[in-house]
Amino acid sequence: MNFLKRKFFSYYLHPKIIFPNRIDRREYAFIPFGGEMRRHLAFASKEKILEYLKNEVPAHAYYSSAYYLHPSAERMDEKKWMGADLIFDLDADHLPNASQMSYEQSLEEVKKEARKLLSFLTDDFGFSENEIEIYFSGSRGYHFHLKNSRILSLGSQERREIVDYVTGRGLIIENVLRERIIPKKELGDKFTDKTIEIDIKPGWKKRFAHALVNFFKEIKAKEKEEAINALIEIGKSRKVAEELYDLLTDERIKRIEEGKIDQATSFKKIIKPLMEKIFISLQSGADEPVTSDIKRLIRLPGSLHGKSGLMVAKVNSIDDFNPLCDAVVFGSEEIEVNVVKPLSIRMMENNFELRGGKEKLPEYLAVFLIARGFATI
Amino acid sequence: MELVKISRYPFLSEAREWVKSRGVSIEEILDDIIYERARRRGVERVRQAIIEGIVRDIPLVNEVDFEMEIYSYAIARMIAVAFENDYVLRRYALAEAKRAYEKMKEDDEETISSILKEFKIEYNDGIHFSDYLRYAPTWDAKWKLVNRELSNGYLKLNKHEIARILQEAISKKIYHELSYMFAPPEVKKIFGDEINLLKNKISFKKEFKKEKNISDFPPCISSVISSINSGRNVPHVARFTLVAFLNEIGMDEKEILALFSKSPDFNEEKALYQIHHITGKISSTVYAVPKCSTISTWGFCFPDEKCRGIFHPVMYYRRKK
Repeated sequence: MNFLKRKFFSYYLHPKIIFPNRIDRREYAFIPFGGEMRRHLAFASKEKILEYLKNEVPAHAYYSSAYYLHPSAERMDEKKWMGADLIFDLDADHLPNASQMSYEQSLEEVKKEARKLLSFLTDDFGFSENEIEIYFSGSRGYHFHLKNSRILSLGSQERREIVDYVTGRGLIIENVLRERIIPKKELGDKFTDKTIEIDIKPGWKKRFAHALVNFFKEIKAKEKEEAINALIEIGKSRKVAEELYDLLTDERIKRIEEGKIDQATSFKKIIKPLMEKIFISLQSGADEPVTSDIKRLIRLPGSLHGKSGLMVAKVNSIDDFNPLCDAVVFGSEEIEVNVVKPLSIRMMENNFELRGGKEKLPEYLAVFLIARGFATI
Repeated sequence: MELVKISRYPFLSEAREWVKSRGVSIEEILDDIIYERARRRGVERVRQAIIEGIVRDIPLVNEVDFEMEIYSYAIARMIAVAFENDYVLRRYALAEAKRAYEKMKEDDEETISSILKEFKIEYNDGIHFSDYLRYAPTWDAKWKLVNRELSNGYLKLNKHEIARILQEAISKKIYHELSYMFAPPEVKKIFGDEINLLKNKISFKKEFKKEKNISDFPPCISSVISSINSGRNVPHVARFTLVAFLNEIGMDEKEILALFSKSPDFNEEKALYQIHHITGKISSTVYAVPKCSTISTWGFCFPDEKCRGIFHPVMYYRRKK
């Protein structure tokens, strides 16, 4: 038995599995060390699952988000689908700059996405906190499991609409802002003018309105030169930026809070690129195919991830969760390993500066590095 | 519910209760001369559904009119089933639902809320997103959930929008019921001539010309075509892809239109508009056929072994030829 499998075995003697509800209606799948996936398995009880984990010591363990009449049927159409939990997958690999980020940076970035997703699910979709279970994926992401009777039977197309909502796909930005013709009377002038207004209605509109107000407030709080640079970044013009900065009086900010942007040319010039920038900052990066797949296999909470040795851990608070501490299951007994290349990492509140070559490291770090291919034994 | 309401919404369970309570047998309805009017109207319902895509109103004045109208719905259902054709069932179900939509737009709140209740759709100052997603035509950008004002699980709808949601629920319900129904053998005897006449109307609709060999089409395009042919409602992005593809390989507007006429909610005017828009007749832009990766994210990419190394559907077609 190789090192990793031996370590996984020691964990699976007393694992902290968090079992899904309706255990016997789910399909289970496992990938053994150095083998192919075995799927279409069904278990009648928690004990049977624990027995399997102990006997087989898989590198990866999964269960289906779906409930089936015959979960162990070999063909999907024979399983007879009965419903499925709603799943969201946030993975650092899907972030725009993923490849340039260190492991720890990417974990931080994906947390931001998780916070955004959580706010969509609670504020807009009205899920209560106890219906949303968040798990660290064991690698570089988070899984959201939603258990609510209303969504059980939703099909793939309906679920795609939900994930499109949180990612903002298909959003018509022009509908958020509307142009209003100000009648002559209001202007006290002989001309009419157009103004831009933001519709402060629930959903995306409200998010845009808040973000716009915050943006202008933040600009106003900055030093002049810094503020102008920030505006240039969006509007691409120093003249527009300077004009806009001078216009940002307290009174104007108050008007923006009421949804009235302004008819000044500098506002009109900046509003479109600004809205697009805000849009990007508001959308959450959930992976579309995972949510719309109603027969998805997802990692079993409490199992270990074969490519990190970390546990698929329950996240109670996104802000406080630290994967390289809270998802660690192994001890600190020292083990000599061969580190492939120099790297620095913070794990279990300790900083490690590894130069490469033979090093004595705590077991938890040794497992992590070997699983990720950064060390050998 | 009063008789007037039942005649407007004959698919509701209250209507069924009412018919049951009258104790009239199927044999009587199919045979007795006093129900001749209901039978004629029943044929008319199906005929209008197939030809016009909507069941039209007739003036109803007295109690007999209302009763005949209600029985005509029961008869029309049996006739539709006797076609033994899925396309007819879908089209008929949609046509009845469209008729109901027109009625619901004008109807009072109490009636609408009783219909909502029948479909177990809860409405308290808003509809839950799960009910919305089941019935809303979200292929249309303005109906997409992301463009709605969703708060705490609910979104507000105006009266017309509620009616549109119910239209879909009604259409699904009728189609579902009919697809499990068998028509009594007498139905085919009694209405055989009318059924055959209408059957000809359907098959006379221009067939897709076989010169462009469908078997050379990539699986994504074929899947859209087979969905349309079986009368399923196809999402907007899929129609868009299909039209752009057919246009790209040199098919003309009439041929494309003939294909679309198989769709249950076919509306020639709307379909032509869409085709013209995509092929550049109105918009001055000829829309490009989407890439494989785009089709994949839209969820109708079903690659076969010949898709290997292909990143564009037109490439598949040209290579195969």
